[in-house]
Amino acid sequence: MAEVLTHAEPHDEHDHTPHGWRRWVYSTNHKDIGTMYLVFACLMFFIGGGAAMLIRLELFKPGLQFFDPQFFNSLTTMHALIMIFGAIMPAWTGLANWMIPMQLGAPDMALPRLNNLSFWILPFAFTLLLGSFFVPGGAPAGGWTMYPPLILQTGAAFPMLIFAVHLMGASSILGAINVIVTIMNMRAPGISLLRMPLFVWTWLITAYLLIAVMPVLAGAVTMLLTDHFFGTTFFTAAGGGDPVMFQHIFWFFGHPEVYILILPAFGIVSEVIPTFSRKPLFGYETMVYATASIAFLSFIVWAHHMFTVGMPLAGQLFFMLSTMLIAVPTGVKVFNWTATMWKGSLSFEPPMLFALAFLFLFTIGGFSGLMLAIVPADYQYQDTYFVVAHFHYVLVPGTIFGIMAGVYYWLPKWTGRMYDLTLAKWHFWLSTIFVNVLFFPQHFLGLAGMPRRIPDYAVQFTDWNMVSSLGGFGFGLSQLLFPYLIWKCVRSGVPIGNRAWEGAHGLEWELPSPPPHHSWTEPPSDAVIARGCAH
Amino acid sequence: MAAAGMEAATQQRRRVRRSALLWALLAAAFYLGFIIMALLRGAK
Repeated sequence: MAEVLTHAEPHDEHDHTPHGWRRWVYSTNHKDIGTMYLVFACLMFFIGGGAAMLIRLELFKPGLQFFDPQFFNSLTTMHALIMIFGAIMPAWTGLANWMIPMQLGAPDMALPRLNNLSFWILPFAFTLLLGSFFVPGGAPAGGWTMYPPLILQTGAAFPMLIFAVHLMGASSILGAINVIVTIMNMRAPGISLLRMPLFVWTWLITAYLLIAVMPVLAGAVTMLLTDHFFGTTFFTAAGGGDPVMFQHIFWFFGHPEVYILILPAFGIVSEVIPTFSRKPLFGYETMVYATASIAFLSFIVWAHHMFTVGMPLAGQLFFMLSTMLIAVPTGVKVFNWTATMWKGSLSFEPPMLFALAFLFLFTIGGFSGLMLAIVPADYQYQDTYFVVAHFHYVLVPGTIFGIMAGVYYWLPKWTGRMYDLTLAKWHFWLSTIFVNVLFFPQHFLGLAGMPRRIPDYAVQFTDWNMVSSLGGFGFGLSQLLFPYLIWKCVRSGVPIGNRAWEGAHGLEWELPSPPPHHSWTEPPSDAVIARGCAH
Repeated sequence: MAAAGMEAATQQRRRVRRSALLWALLAAAFYLGFIIMALLRGAK
């Protein structure tokens, strides 16, 4: 049975809140490290978002307006790398750092120094990556998938890209080890695995995925490195290598990576919907098993990203059917969220609004994914804007809205203050309207045949590109409300009690708001656990 | 009471160290193993 550290012995060095820059640079406190992750993710979100706005600016009209094609390709490549590895993954790790110890009745993460290290690797990784804009040849422009032989033509930025990817991978693996060890060893007595909150469960499964696939990415980029500098020919056909092998290796990492980005959002939505429906989550255990099934299936679907490179019919059938199979556990989840709301006493505060938008819009992304899974149809959709629309529906109103729902849900707990609910609703409505204006027309563009990753296009695609760009500018600008709202909350929000939301359950709501520097210095009592862990 | 608390804390620390080492070894084996395997195959 897992037990929590009771702090029976003196821990003088932990008994005070440090101040100044040392608090952050030397921090071993899960909340401080969580805050640093979230601030870093927010910064990267705006840098990656800036790149996206420049992309949409160039695509507002046909013809080359502002950038040469090479720089445009750098923008698309860097936008993806920054958003995936710099914004979304650190945001999840930040939320995990803040919430997992508080939700498990633990005083901190199991490995606090490792926690510090895994965060502080990131600024170095992204300094390298962003610094590549300023070296001869410019930033990498071969796409975030780094397919050879194209990526091997990158100039001085190439080793910077490879080293940055290695650092990001190492940071993610260290973070994942910390999450697994914390969940397995630091749960308060009485919190069995099947009493853990869904956010903790989804993060546990995500951490296993990270440990399984980040090394595969590391191996792939190391082979690229040796092909470039040391004369190997892993992916060079002239030397007996096979460029398609890179695609297989990359997507063996890349598809589980998609679930690394989305599974914690499932966890947050599973916390938010019951709170604002004032009902327990429908089918808690099936949610756990569905998450584990999705994670398992994510390992056997990778080649659906590469139907058009050519593969045997049996391979096409296998990857088509295994991909479609993912709709089953995902459908279980959507059904359970809907059933949780059924006959609930619903209210629509900002976290619930973002969770509901997630439910509808992520499902649209899921459906277009099913369309893409159909091999003969995929031959038409491959490398068009339809694919761009699909994965942005999954990642923006899916993952990003999941993060927003989580931040709006727990922000009052973190700060001890309630934010401006009206402003948060403005943020929600502007985001939801503009995200659809931005991405929905891209389905039409893709179906009409507009290819992705180009700075110029045929004139018949002009109208929908203009609409999409206007949506992009609106979405980007409306995100500025988010940091302003947080700043306003921290400075002048209305103080709140332990439980910010009347329907909220979970151990974190048993702590004061804001929680003390060390959360659970004594394990929660049985009564508190019974109240907090009621599913 | 305090002695029991200290004993539990020591046990927990031991468990944390053991499982952290286990997972670190597993991750390092994956990480390095995949790279080394690839390089060895490339050298053939």
